Amino acid sequence: MSQAETTGTRVRPLALLGSELGLLFRRRRTWAMLAALALVPVLIGVAVRFRPNAESGPPFLTAISENGLFVSFTALTVSVPLFLPLTVGVVAGDTIAGEASLGTLRYLLVAPTTRVRVLLVKYAAAAVFAIAAPLVVLLAGIAVGALLFPIRDVTLLSGVTVDAGGFAVRCALLVVYVAVSLLGLSAIGLFLSTLTTVPVGAMAATIVLAAASQILDSLPQLDWLHPWLFSHWWFGFADFLREPIVWDSFQSNALLQLGYVALFGALAYGRLSTKDILT
Amino acid sequence: MNKLSRWLPAAAVPIVVVAGAVALPAMSAAGDVPDRRPEEVLDLIASSAGVAFSGTVEQTSELGLPELPESDMKGYGSSDESAVVEFLTGDHSARVFSDGAEGQRVQLLDRLAERDLIRNGSEVWAYDSKRDEAIHAVLPEDAEWSAPATPPDLAEALLAKIDPTTAVSVESGNRVAGREVYDLILTPRTEESLVAEIELSVDADTGLPLRVEVDSTDGTDDAVSVGFREIDYDTPSPDLFTFTPAEGTVVHEKQPTPGVAPAMPEPPEPVVTGEGWASVVELPGDVLASADPEQAALFEQLTVAVPEGRVLSTSLVSVLFTSDGRVLAGAVPVETLQAAAR
Repeated sequence: MSQAETTGTRVRPLALLGSELGLLFRRRRTWAMLAALALVPVLIGVAVRFRPNAESGPPFLTAISENGLFVSFTALTVSVPLFLPLTVGVVAGDTIAGEASLGTLRYLLVAPTTRVRVLLVKYAAAAVFAIAAPLVVLLAGIAVGALLFPIRDVTLLSGVTVDAGGFAVRCALLVVYVAVSLLGLSAIGLFLSTLTTVPVGAMAATIVLAAASQILDSLPQLDWLHPWLFSHWWFGFADFLREPIVWDSFQSNALLQLGYVALFGALAYGRLSTKDILT
Repeated sequence: MNKLSRWLPAAAVPIVVVAGAVALPAMSAAGDVPDRRPEEVLDLIASSAGVAFSGTVEQTSELGLPELPESDMKGYGSSDESAVVEFLTGDHSARVFSDGAEGQRVQLLDRLAERDLIRNGSEVWAYDSKRDEAIHAVLPEDAEWSAPATPPDLAEALLAKIDPTTAVSVESGNRVAGREVYDLILTPRTEESLVAEIELSVDADTGLPLRVEVDSTDGTDDAVSVGFREIDYDTPSPDLFTFTPAEGTVVHEKQPTPGVAPAMPEPPEPVVTGEGWASVVELPGDVLASADPEQAALFEQLTVAVPEGRVLSTSLVSVLFTSDGRVLAGAVPVETLQAAAR
C-alpha cells in the first residue's frame, strides 16, 4: 500500500504537467498564436522575394536573397522585441487568472495537490510555450527560406561559415537563449495572473511591462538601471552567431532571469497561498 | 501570522540579490606584490612583448557629449559619421586574441553585428558582418603593426609620449580582470590641460598592460577607460588567425604603398602652439563647406556656437571650428583654444 502511495505521489506532478500541457496545446488560441509567429518569416520571405534589393532593414535582411536560411535569423530578430513577449504575455497572464475567471481554480485546488504545485505546473507549461515560440519562428524561417531562395552554408557574424550540422547547433542554441530570455517575463505574468480574476488584465499588464522595460533600456540617462531590466540581454542571442561563441551575455542573462523567476515566483506564491479562492 | 510567513520568500529574494551584488565584487581581495619603481614597471612592460593571450576588452567613454538615444533601430542603415559619434559616446566590448608573434585578431562585438580585424604575418583581413564585405591587404616588409585600441597598444602609444612634462609614479594593490597589477600613474605637470591623470594598469606577473583609464580635470573619473574584463594567457588556436572569405562575401583588395595612407590626400602641416599636455594643434580646413546635410545636422547637434565659430567640447578634448575655416584642437579648455584662435 505504501509503495502504491509513493509511486502515486511521484507520478502525480508529471501527470498534472501533462494535463496542463494538453490543455495549453489543445487550445485554439495557442495554435493561433504559434501560427501568427510562423507568419512573421513568411511575410519577410515573400517581401524580400518581391523586392530583393533593400538597402537597409533589420539585421540579416540583406543576406536573405543570397541565402534563404537567413530568413530564420531575420524573423527571430524582428520577433524578439514584440511578437514573442506578446504571445508569452498572453500565455503567462492566463495561467491563474484564466482558471479563476472560468471558476475552475477552486476545483483545481480541491484536487489532492498543493497550491505550490499548481503554481509550478502552470509556470512549467508557460516555460514550455516560451521554448515552442522561438522554435516555431526559426523552423518556419528555415522552411520559407529554403522554399523561396537558394540555400548554402551560413556565414556567421565573424565571417566564417558553418555547415548544416553547425547551423542546426546554432539554431538550437538560439532557441535556448531566447527561451531563457522569456522566463523572467513569464514569471512576471504568472504573478500578475494571481492578482486578478480577469485574465485579459494580467495579459495586458505583462505585455505593457515588456514594452516599458525595453523603452527604459533605450534611454541612456538610465544606464545604471539597464543591467537590471529583464529585457536588457534580449538581443544578446547574436553572441551565439559568433566564432568562437561568446557566452558572457548568456550567463548574465541566465542569472538575471533566474533573479526575476525567484522574485516573481515567490511573490506569486505569497499571493496565491494567502488568497481566498472564491471562484 | 501564518499568512505573513507565506510572503517570506518574496522578502528574502531581494535581500539575497542585493547581498550577492554587494558581496561578489568585494570578494576579489587586494593583491600583494613587491613594490617597484616606475623604471622597473616600464622594463616589465617591455618584457611583455611576445606574450600570447586572449581576452575580452571593454571600452567606456564619459566624454560629456550629448548622448544620442540608442535604439533597436541601431544599424538599420546608419551613416559612418553617426557610427563615429556612437563609438565616442557608447560602451563597447571586443574580443582580442594574440599569439604573441605574428597573429592577432580583434573582434568588435556590436549589437547583432561584428567587425573583425585579422592579421597573420603580412596578411591583413578586415571583415564587416553588416555589409558582408571583407578588405584584404598585404603589409609591406617593414610595416609597423598595431591593433587598434587594445590596452597593450594604447599603452605603447602613451609611453612613447612620456617626457619631462609628465610625472610618473607607481601604485600597487589593485586587480584588473582578476590579475594583480601595478598602476603606473602619469600626471601632467601643468594646470592647463584637461587631462588630470592617466592610470595604466600593468599585469604584475606578465607585464602586459591590462587597462588604461584617463581622468579629466573637470571631475570626470574614467572619462575614457579601455581595459580587459577577462584575460587568459593560453595561446589561442591558430585557426583564429586565418581568414577565408565565405562564398558571397564581397572582397576588396587593397595594396598600401609604404608611407602613404591609401586614397588619402596629403595632410596639411599642422601648427602646434603651447607644449606638452597643453599644446594646441591648428589645421586649415573648412569642415562645414564639405559636409552633406546629414553630416551638417550631426555637426550642429554636437557643437555649440561661440564668437570665434563653433566648438566641440568634451571632458578631455576640445575642438574649435573657426568661422574663417581653421580647426584648433587640444586637451585644453575651450578658452585656451579661443585665445589661440585670435
